[in-house]
Amino acid sequence: MKRELIFLIALWKANLLAAMEFRAAFISQVFGMMLNNAVYFIFWIIFFDRFKQIRGWGIDDMFFLFGVVAASFGAGVYLFGNAMDLANVIANGRLDYYLSLPRPVLLHVLASRSVSSGLGDFTYGILSFIVARQFAPDTIARYILAVVLATTTFIAFMTLIQSSAFWLGNAALLSQQASNAMVTFSLYPITLFDGNARLILFTLIPAAFIGAVPAEFIRQFTWETLAQLLGAAIIMLALALLVFRRGLRRYESGSAIQVQM
Amino acid sequence: MGKIENRNPRQSAFIGVQKYFAIMRTQIINSAAYPLDLATRSLMIVLFMFIFMQLWNATYRAMGQSTIADLSLSETMWYFMLAETIVMSKPRLSVTISESVKDGSIAYLLNKPYDFMLYQFSVAFGDGMMRMVFNAIAGGTIVWLMVGPPPSFSGIPLVLITIALGWLIDFMMTAMIGLTAFVTEDVAAFDWIYQKFVLILGGVLIPLDFFPDWIGNIAKALPFAYATYGPARLFVSPDLTRFATLVLGQIIWLAVLGAMLSLVYRRGVMRLTLNGG
Repeated sequence: MKRELIFLIALWKANLLAAMEFRAAFISQVFGMMLNNAVYFIFWIIFFDRFKQIRGWGIDDMFFLFGVVAASFGAGVYLFGNAMDLANVIANGRLDYYLSLPRPVLLHVLASRSVSSGLGDFTYGILSFIVARQFAPDTIARYILAVVLATTTFIAFMTLIQSSAFWLGNAALLSQQASNAMVTFSLYPITLFDGNARLILFTLIPAAFIGAVPAEFIRQFTWETLAQLLGAAIIMLALALLVFRRGLRRYESGSAIQVQM
Repeated sequence: MGKIENRNPRQSAFIGVQKYFAIMRTQIINSAAYPLDLATRSLMIVLFMFIFMQLWNATYRAMGQSTIADLSLSETMWYFMLAETIVMSKPRLSVTISESVKDGSIAYLLNKPYDFMLYQFSVAFGDGMMRMVFNAIAGGTIVWLMVGPPPSFSGIPLVLITIALGWLIDFMMTAMIGLTAFVTEDVAAFDWIYQKFVLILGGVLIPLDFFPDWIGNIAKALPFAYATYGPARLFVSPDLTRFATLVLGQIIWLAVLGAMLSLVYRRGVMRLTLNGG
C-alpha cells in the first residue's frame, strides 16, 4: 500500500512538471475552468432569484451541491485523468506499455495522465463550499470525506464504463455520453426526479452519489447518508476492478511501438 | 487559357460560390456516412429535455401559474428543444481552427485556391446540418411525447432562415476565438467561457423572458441572443414582425462581427510563424 502511494505521488509530480512546461496554457486552463463554472452558476443565481425555491432546494443548497460535484470531478480528472480516456487506451493497444512494467496496471494507467482543467474545477468546488459559509470543523470534515467518497464513486464508474472497450472495441462515444449524463444529472436538485428517474440516478447512472447524497451528508450528518456514500464507493470500486480484470484477460496486444513521455 | 481569360466577373463569382457549396455537400455526405454515431450523439438532447421537463414542470407547479412571462410549459419546452438543437448541432469551430494553427496545417490550407474562412464555414455548416436533423428528430420526439405538439408549424421556414443567420453569427465569434491561437498557446479556456455565455446569455438554460427586466434587455441586445434565443422564440411565437426585427438585428451583428473577424484574420496571418521540418 505504501509503495503504491509513493508510486502515485511520483506519477502526479511528473504530470505536474510536464504541465508546467507549458505554463501559460496550464494557468489559463485552471483559471478558465474556474471562470467557466462561475458563469454556469449564474444560471442558478438567476433561477432562484426569480423562483426562490423549488421542492425544498434553494440557492444555498446549490452552493453545497456545486461545492462537492466540482471538487470531486476536478480531483478525479486531475489525479486519475486517464479514467476519461481509458476506452481509447484499450482500443488503441496502448495498455502494452503498462502491462510490461512491475506496477498495478489499472492504477498506473489511470494516474499516468492529469487533466489540468481539473484543478480549476477542484478549486472552484472549494470556493463554492466557502461561499456557503459553513465553517464548523465537523462540516469541513464531512465535506472532505464527501469529496473523497464522491471522487472514488465517479472514477470507479468511469473506469467501469470505459472498460466496456474490452468487449465493444470502440466505446469512446458511449463513455463520453455516460460521463456527460453523470455530471449533468448530478448538478440538478435530486428532488426534481421521481420514481424510475430517481431509481436510475441511484443505480445505473449513480449521479446521486456524487451530488445530492454528499451534499445532504455535508448539510447534516446521518448514519444513513454515510452508509449510502460508503456503500456506493465500495460497490462501484469493486465492480470497476472486477470488470477491468475480466476485460484485461481478453486484451490483445497491438503491434504499435509506444513511447511514454 | 482563352476560356479563363474570357470569363466575365459574374461567372467567376458564381464558380467561386459553387466550390463552397461543393465543400458543404461533401461534408454532409461525410457526416451521413456514420448515422449510428449521429444517433448516439443525439441521445444527449433527449437527456437534457428530460431534465428540463422535471425542472420546469416543478417550477410551473410551484408558481401555481399556467404561464410565466407569457410562455406556457409546453411553449417553454419547445423553446428549449429548438435552443438545444441549435447549440448542440454547431461544430466546435474554435477548436478546429486553433488546432490547424497549432499543428501548422493552416499553411497547407492557406495556399489552396479558396478562402480559409469560407472553407471553414462551409465544412462547419455541412457538419452541423446532419447533426441538426438528428437532434431535431430526437429532441422533437421526446418533447412531443411529454407536452404534445409544438404551438405552430407555420413559422418553420422563417425559423430555418434565422437559424442559418444565427449559425453565421456563432461561426464568426468562434472563429475569432480559434484565431487567438495565432497569439496564445491554447484557446480551450476562451472556448469554455464562450460556450457558457451562449448557455446563459443565449437563453439556452433559461429563456431570456424569465430574466429580471434590466439584465434581460441587455442580454437580448447581445449577439448570443440573436444566435439562439431569437430563432427559438420565433419558433414558439411565429410572427412576421418578430421575424423582421430578428433578421435585421442578425444582419447588423453579422456586419459588425464580420468586420472584426476580417481584421483579426488579417492580423493573425501576418503574424503567422511556421517552423519547418
